[in-house]
Amino acid sequence: MKAFSYTLAVSTEEATNAGTQSDNNAGGTNLVDLMKIDVMDPKELVDINQLPMRGVTLDDGVLRIGALEKMASVAEQPEVVQHFPVISQALLKSASAQLRNMASIGGNLMQRTRCGYFRDVVMPCNKRVPGSGCPAFAGENRMHAILGVGDACCATHPSDLAVALVALDASVNLQGPKGTRSIKLDDFYLLPEDTPDREHAIEPGELITGVTVPQTNWYQRSAYLKIRDRESYEFALCSAAVALDVDGLKIRDARIAAGGVGTRPWRLPEVAQALIGKRVSQETFEHAVEIATKGARPLSQNGFKVTLLKRTLTRALVHVGGGVA
Amino acid sequence: MNSVSQSIDRVDGKLKVTGQARYSGDHSLPNLCYGYLLQSSIAKGNIQSMDVSAAQHSPGVVAIFTPFNPLKIYSPAQAGEEGAISGDVIPLLQDPAVDYFGQTIGFVVAESFEEARDAARLVKTEYQTQPAIVELQSGLGQAYAPKSVSGMGATVSVLADGVTSIDEALRGAEVLVSATYNSPIEHHNPMEPHATTAIWNGDRLTIYDATQWVQGQQRNLAAVLGIDEANVRVLCPFVGGGFGCKGSMWMHSPLTAAAARVLNRPVKTVLTREQMYTAVGHRPTVRQTVTLGATKQGELTAVKHEAYSSSSRVKFFAEAAAHRTSLALYKSPNIVVTHEIVPLDFAPGTFMRAPGVAPGMFALESAMDELSVKLGVDPVELRLRNYATAEPVHKLPWSSKHLDECYRLGADKFGWSQRRPEPKSTREGDWLVGHGVATALYPAHRSHAEAKIRFQSDGNVSVSAATHDLGTGMYTVLAIVASEALGIPVQRIRPVLGDSGLTLAPVAGGSQSTASVSPAVVAAVDSATKKLISVAVSGAKSPFSGMKPSDVSYANGVLQGGGKAVPFEAVLAALDRSAVEGSGTASPGEEEHQYSFLSFGAQFCEVRVNEWTGEARVTRFTSVMDVGTVVNQKTARSQVIGGIVFGIGMGLLEATKVDPNNGWIANRNLAEYLVPTNADIPHIDVEFLNIPDTKFNSLGVRGIGEIGIAGVPAAIANAIFNATGTRVRDLPITPESLLVEQKGMA
Ligand SMILES: Cc1cc2nc3c(=O)[nH]c(=O)nc-3n(C[C@H](O)[C@H](O)[C@H](O)COP(=O)(O)OP(=O)(O)OC[C@H]3O[C@@H](n4cnc5c(N)ncnc54)[C@H](O)[C@@H]3O)c2cc1C
Repeated sequence: MKAFSYTLAVSTEEATNAGTQSDNNAGGTNLVDLMKIDVMDPKELVDINQLPMRGVTLDDGVLRIGALEKMASVAEQPEVVQHFPVISQALLKSASAQLRNMASIGGNLMQRTRCGYFRDVVMPCNKRVPGSGCPAFAGENRMHAILGVGDACCATHPSDLAVALVALDASVNLQGPKGTRSIKLDDFYLLPEDTPDREHAIEPGELITGVTVPQTNWYQRSAYLKIRDRESYEFALCSAAVALDVDGLKIRDARIAAGGVGTRPWRLPEVAQALIGKRVSQETFEHAVEIATKGARPLSQNGFKVTLLKRTLTRALVHVGGGVA
Repeated sequence: MNSVSQSIDRVDGKLKVTGQARYSGDHSLPNLCYGYLLQSSIAKGNIQSMDVSAAQHSPGVVAIFTPFNPLKIYSPAQAGEEGAISGDVIPLLQDPAVDYFGQTIGFVVAESFEEARDAARLVKTEYQTQPAIVELQSGLGQAYAPKSVSGMGATVSVLADGVTSIDEALRGAEVLVSATYNSPIEHHNPMEPHATTAIWNGDRLTIYDATQWVQGQQRNLAAVLGIDEANVRVLCPFVGGGFGCKGSMWMHSPLTAAAARVLNRPVKTVLTREQMYTAVGHRPTVRQTVTLGATKQGELTAVKHEAYSSSSRVKFFAEAAAHRTSLALYKSPNIVVTHEIVPLDFAPGTFMRAPGVAPGMFALESAMDELSVKLGVDPVELRLRNYATAEPVHKLPWSSKHLDECYRLGADKFGWSQRRPEPKSTREGDWLVGHGVATALYPAHRSHAEAKIRFQSDGNVSVSAATHDLGTGMYTVLAIVASEALGIPVQRIRPVLGDSGLTLAPVAGGSQSTASVSPAVVAAVDSATKKLISVAVSGAKSPFSGMKPSDVSYANGVLQGGGKAVPFEAVLAALDRSAVEGSGTASPGEEEHQYSFLSFGAQFCEVRVNEWTGEARVTRFTSVMDVGTVVNQKTARSQVIGGIVFGIGMGLLEATKVDPNNGWIANRNLAEYLVPTNADIPHIDVEFLNIPDTKFNSLGVRGIGEIGIAGVPAAIANAIFNATGTRVRDLPITPESLLVEQKGMA
C-alpha cells in the first residue's frame, strides 16, 4: 500500500473539489482491498461517509436510492422488496452478509473487475497499465466476458446490482465541480474497446450521489437469477435480471439484462423486443433468447457461456413468466 | 470411568471461542520485527539482478536478504525421493535460479508487517527467463517411473498363475470398462496461515511455529540452521488447520530463524494467503486411467490402474492414487497399478488430506459405477460381490473389517432401495435428482510414541506428549484416554501437547495420532500409578507408609490398602510432594506382519442438478464408518463431517488455476479458490460402527482424520450420472460439463 493522505469530507463540494489523484472511500471493501495489493494507489483518500447521500424513497413513481446506502439495508427495504424484487434479489445474492453490511450502492456500481491479471501487479493488464497487454485472452479466462470483448480487454464487470439496474432503465445522479447531472446507467458503463482503463462516463471530481429507478407496476414481476459454481459468496458465472409485463398469457413488455458475460452490465433490449406481443411459453422464451449471444466472442475456456447465457435467461423468464404449460 | 465413546465437548473449546488460545502468529515480544517473503514472478530462469536500493530506504526496513545477500541455510537432510516430510529440497535464497512461479527469492524484515510488505514491492528484479512446462498435459512427454511410490515399486503387479500380463487378463474379460479421470492441483487452505515467531537466547532458539510436527520441525530446523537439535525448542499448542501443508518444514521457518539470529532480534513471519499457494505445498494434479475386466455376473477378473501425477522438477512428490486404492479395495485375481511422475516447473507438492487416496478413489469408485451401469448390477451389490476379505497383494487378513456392514447400514439409513437406477428418472421442478454411492478407505497407521502422566497435588492429572491438535480434538482425546485409564473425570485431566520438549510423538499426519499416542498414555498411567504407590509406601508421613507395594492399589484417583482409602492428592499433600509422574511407551509390534490395517466407510450422496443451467448441489449425505473404537463421538463426527465437506469441495469446487503460458496462479485467494460455504452443505448423517480393532492396539482405535473425504468426489460424480446420464470424469464438476441438451420443463 502506497502512502496517501486521508480527508474526512464534510460537504459534497469539498469532496468533488479534491484533486484528480484522489479517490473516494465509501465502504472501502473494494478500494482498500485494491490499495493493499497496490492495484490502486490514490495519493489522497477522501472519506465520503459523512455526506448526505442516504435514504431510500419511492415517491411519484420513482425509486431513489442514496449512494451511501448500504447494500444490506437497500435489499431489505419494503418498497424495494415489494416493487423491485429484482433489485433486492441481486443485492442479496451479492458477496457475503458482512460485505453487504459495509458496502455502499455507489461503491458497488464503481467496483473494479475481479480479473486476476488486473488484480496482480506482476502481470501485464491493459486496464491497469494501458498498452501493457492482456494475458487473459490466451490464459485463464473461464470467468471472463463473451460480450463486449474488444482486443484490449475481456474482463467482466462484477456487479450484480448494476445488472438489475440497467435492466430497469435506472439512472445515476452525479455531482461534480461543474454541478449535477443524471445519466442512464446503461450509458454510464463504457465498453473497453481501446481504452479499458476508462470504465465509466464519470468526470474527474464527480461523485455518484444516488440512483433513480422509474417505477412501473409490473416490475413487481421481476427476478434475478444468478448461476455460480458455489451456492453463495461468489461472483456470477452468468446471471439474468428479468421483468415481464404479462396480460393473461400475452407479453406486453419486458426488461432484460445479463451479468457475468459482458465487459459491462449487459442490457438485452433485442431479447425484450422479441418477446413483446408473444404468448408466454417456453418456446417463446427459447426463441427470443437466441439473439442474446449475437456478437459473442467466446474465449479459450468460456465458450460454454454462450449456451449458459441462453439457458439462464430462459430459466429466469420461465420463472417470472409463470404459468408455462 | 466411562469416558471413551461418549460425546464430550472440546476441552480447549473455551480457550478458542474466547480468543485465549494463542496461535503461532499471536506472539508479541519487545523488539519484535516482521519478515515478509518476496516471491518470483516467473516460472523458470535466473535472477540477473535485484535492485534493493529503493526498498532499503523504505520506512521501517531492517534488512533485505536475497540470493545476492543470503542468509545461510544448509541443505535439509534428504529422506530419499519421498522425503517431502523434510520440507523444501532446495535451500532457498542460496542461488539465483528460479524453478517455479512464486518461489521465495527474497526475505524482507521491517518494523511492521505492512512496512516489510511495502518494501518487498519496491525490490526490482531482472530475470533471464527460460521456457517452462507448467501443465500436466504438456509435461506428459517427460513422464518417468520413479524408484518408489508410497513405499512400493512404481509398478505393482498381482497376476494369477499362468497369466502373463494384465492386458492379457483384460482381453479375456467378458465385460470391460476403461476411462480416464483427471483431478486438478488443489490447495489445503487451512484457516490459519503459516506463521513463525523466532526468538534467540544466545545459541538457543525458541520458535513458535505453525506445524503438524514439532519434533520434526525441531530436527529439520537444527539441520538447516547448523545448530544442535538440543538447542531448538518448537512450540505449537494450537494449529488452525493443517491438512498436510504443515507436516513439512517449509523455507519461511528457517529464513525467519536465520534472520532473527543475524539481526539479534525476534522475527515473526506470517504468510499471506497468496504466498501459501507456492510456499507450502499443494495436492498434485493427477491423470488416471482405470480399466476393469469382469464376468457378466460382475466379478472382477482384472484391474489396471495407471496414474500420472505432477511433481515439481526440483522436489519429488508422488500423489500415489493407484497404489493406495486399487491395491487395497477389491478382490481380483489380477491387479496392476502403475505410477509415473510428470515433472513440472511448478512449486513443490505435498501431502494433502487423504494423499493419493482422495483422487485414487475418485477414479476407482467412478469406474466401479461405470461397470455397474454396464452390467445393470446395483452399485452396492457390485461392491459386495467383489468384497476382499484379505488385503489383495500380500493376502494378509484385515485386522478388523466391517465394510459390508457399512454398505448395508448406510443403504438402509439413506433409503438406497428407493433409488431409481435409470438416469434422469427423478426430478423436482427443473432439478434432476440423483443418488450415488462410493467406498471410503484409508490405511491405519501407527508409530512409536511416548506419553507422560503427572499426578498433581492440586488433584488434577496432566497428560502430555509432543503431539498436536490441528482442530482435530487431540486435547480432548488425550483427556478422555487418560480419564478412562485413571478413572478420573475428564474435567480433572490437564492435557499438554505441541511442545518439542515433551515426550516423543509422531507427525500429526496419516491419521495416526490417536492410534499412536493413546496406547502410550495407557502405558504411562500404568507406570505413574506404580510410581505413586511406591512413593506412598516409602514416605514416612504417608498414610500407606511401610506397607508392601502389592498391598496398595490404585483405582479412580484413590489409593487403597490396609483398610484405608485416600485420594492421591491427599497422599501427595501428606508427603509434601507437588507431583508424581511416570511415562510409558507404545509401539507397533508383531501384528504388523500378521494383518493389514485399514479403515473403511460407505458414503451415499444425493445431488440435484439444474437441467437448464447445470449447477450441481449436494442435498443429502450419509456416511457409515468402520474406524475402530471411537474415542469421542463428538469430535470424531466433526472430523468426518469436515472430511465430507472437504470432499464436496473437491468434487464440485476446488481447483488451482494455472496460466499455461507462465505458471502464474490465477486464484490465489479465498474469493476465487472456491471452498464450500454453508449454503453448499446439506445435513450430513455420520454413523460409526464403533467396533474396536484390538489387533491394531489395545484401545482398538484407528484414524479418522482423512477417511471422511475418500469416497465423496466419486459418490457425487456417481449421483450426478444417476441424475443426468452424464458421466463427468474431470474434477471439479462444474456447470459447463452438465449443460447437456436442453430438456423440456416438467
Ligand atoms: C470476496 C468478495 C466477494 C464479492 N462478491 C460480490 C458479488 O457477488 N456481487 C457483487 O455485486 N459484488 C461483490 N463484491 C463486491 C462488493 O459488492 C464491493 O466491494 C462493494 O459493493 C463496494 O462498495 P464499497 O462501498 O465498499 O466501495 P469502496 O471500496 O469504498 O469503493 C469502491 C470504488 O467506488 C468508488 N466510489 C465509492 N462511492 C462512490 C461514489 N458515491 N461516487 C463515486 N465513486 C464512488 C471509490 O472511489 C472506489 O473506487 C464482492 C467483494 C468481495 C471482497
